[in-house]
Amino acid sequence: MTTPAAQTSAAKPAGAEPYRLEGELPMATQAAVPFIEIETLRAREFIPAAREALSSLIAEQGQAKVIRPVFNWAGRNSLFPLHWGLACCAIEFAAAFGARWDAERFGVVPRSSPRQCDLMIVNGTVTWKVAHKLITLYEQMPEPKWVIAMGNCATGGGPFRTAYSVVPGVDKLVPVDVYIAGCPPRPEAMLDGILKLEELIRERKE
Amino acid sequence: MSEMWINMGPQHPMTHGLWNLRVKIDGEMILDVDPEMGYLHRGIEKISEDRHYNEVITLMDRCCYVAGFSWEHLYILGAEEALHVEPPERAEYLRVLCDEFQRIGSHLMWYAAFVQDIGLMSPFLYGMRDRDLVLDLFQSYTGARMTYEYMRVGGVRNDVPPGFTDSARKVLDWLTARFPEYDQLCLGSTIFRERCDELGILKAADCVKHGVTGPMLRSAGVKRDLRKDRPYSAYDRLEFDVAVADAADVTARYLVRMEEMRQSVRILRQVLDWLDRHPGPVLADHLPRWLGAPYAPIGNEGYLLKRNYPKGVGFSAIEEPHGEALAYVVNDGGEHPYRVKFRSPVFANISAARQYLVGYHVADIPPIMGSVDVCVGEVDR
Amino acid sequence: MQPDDITRALGPKLGDGLLSVEPFEGTAGRVRFRPESALALFEAVRDDLRFAHCATVGGIDWVDHREVFYVLWSDEAGQYLFLSADVPADAPHIESAASVWPSANWHEREAWELVGITFDHHPDLRHLLMPDGYVFHPLLRSFKLHEPESLEVKSRHV
Repeated sequence: MTTPAAQTSAAKPAGAEPYRLEGELPMATQAAVPFIEIETLRAREFIPAAREALSSLIAEQGQAKVIRPVFNWAGRNSLFPLHWGLACCAIEFAAAFGARWDAERFGVVPRSSPRQCDLMIVNGTVTWKVAHKLITLYEQMPEPKWVIAMGNCATGGGPFRTAYSVVPGVDKLVPVDVYIAGCPPRPEAMLDGILKLEELIRERKE
Repeated sequence: MSEMWINMGPQHPMTHGLWNLRVKIDGEMILDVDPEMGYLHRGIEKISEDRHYNEVITLMDRCCYVAGFSWEHLYILGAEEALHVEPPERAEYLRVLCDEFQRIGSHLMWYAAFVQDIGLMSPFLYGMRDRDLVLDLFQSYTGARMTYEYMRVGGVRNDVPPGFTDSARKVLDWLTARFPEYDQLCLGSTIFRERCDELGILKAADCVKHGVTGPMLRSAGVKRDLRKDRPYSAYDRLEFDVAVADAADVTARYLVRMEEMRQSVRILRQVLDWLDRHPGPVLADHLPRWLGAPYAPIGNEGYLLKRNYPKGVGFSAIEEPHGEALAYVVNDGGEHPYRVKFRSPVFANISAARQYLVGYHVADIPPIMGSVDVCVGEVDR
Repeated sequence: MQPDDITRALGPKLGDGLLSVEPFEGTAGRVRFRPESALALFEAVRDDLRFAHCATVGGIDWVDHREVFYVLWSDEAGQYLFLSADVPADAPHIESAASVWPSANWHEREAWELVGITFDHHPDLRHLLMPDGYVFHPLLRSFKLHEPESLEVKSRHV
């Protein structure tokens, strides 16, 4: 499904403005939809307001055109990464969920079962011994799913790329969406990678 | 009667890293275990043979990623013995400073991860919060949070910045006030005591038989600490006690680690006072140029030494946060080490898993393995 | 404990099996012995010299032969002790120490896997770090590391 380019760019919120749900939806006319300001909305008012906005939109434009941006919006704000630690980057991954950085404020909550995850953060050196288990875990994750290669080892083998047991980059095994540089990347860098991934999901069409 | 083998790992919330605990169970009872390692084997010993002596330090930080400084220190002591280099005294104190702050950092990381396994969430947040303060100190003089590349053959890379000792003392004051809080959260919690008391018992005789060292051995009442028994760097000039407990169970290991952090604070206060009073060089003079140390005198001397450097072997042993770590560095006169062999404490502690897991229930595995403090990086190397 | 004390304690029991005891930096000494008398030496070192803790077992490939070394610790002496034996490169094998020190079990598995030294009568000699079926011994000098081929980027969003 596609949206006309002019409409998309016109509807994009500018950086400083408060974030608005209507900015994400491909609308013919703004007046037809009730205005939702998420920031001023209380939690219990959210679902009725969203239902009202969506049903009027769907009535106007058809279901197919509306649902995709809503899914993207919901998906990118609740990324569930797989909870596993490969090597050094796993410690920074854990630090990002600690008190100082608190990655959960971005809706990022690690889950231990791959069936509940839509994001695999490869946080460390991938060896050939774990390679087929990594692929199994990736295949167990339901679609849509994304992969972040965190750190130099996952990106290209890092300081161990000459070693006999190390996969020189996890993109040899699974498709990677975002690469984060660093050895290990700081928690800020990891959060930046997640925000980059959110931008990718925002543009997702199919 | 139905026995079966199940895999806990390599992706499992209990493992804290990449390894696989194969468990033979009958209902809830553990009949046998077989840890399967090697999922993080990066061939550090092999890569070291292709690197200059100072380039191996890069690998050491990543070898044990929660105790990078300790492993740098371990390797450096071995390499210095193999290369016949003596560090200046201030560098030795700086290394102790790094080591002890690292011990606190490592134990806080353990505290955060272990207590979360038992079901208490807030210790994770407190542990990570206070560990970040220690990492901030590291960052102020090495530039990195976890992978430092700070120590060099013949000393350390640079001195601490002005005002460092004051900020370090502030962190120590903060930590000293937090320790009772940690104890209250854990020892005062019924959940913690119910799950940890009289669990995972490994008596002293079994510890020695199976090569178990570190806090696990000391929790069984054996007072073995290489900082006391075989002092290295400046430990013979510092006052501290060895933390010991008797019960040999999970709670005893918790108590030992908590007491070790208090003793580390005590050591660090002495080290900071010493550093304030004794300015001086931190890197040995007249290092051969090929060692690649910064600020080393550059001349033709280095290249002469490269050809005719005396052969030697270095053997070092340090008390890492997890236990007894050894390095054996063989120098055949070339610019790369001929062979580097490391002994990881966790390697031996996991190899004894059968001794402290069999006979307990499946639900006891997370607290017991948490109390072992597994760092897979140094097991697989 | 000095090298002379070790010679005095071990010499009568081992005879020819004991080659030399040399001083070794920071330890009680390094005992060189013939691989044939390994088990007798291990038992004597554990029972007579009281080295109860086997810290590690490792191997070194010296191309023409291989060296097996054991690092032991005694709480009574407060010292480390090195044992070292040379085994031929074409048939590198030695008696396992796992019956004397159970902690040697995993260290010997690692030494077999990485340096290719076979430990006879080992209870469980199988792969530890590398996957099952791995045929090389990476820490041999003949095993060379190489730079991997240039990376092929497989991102979905190039």
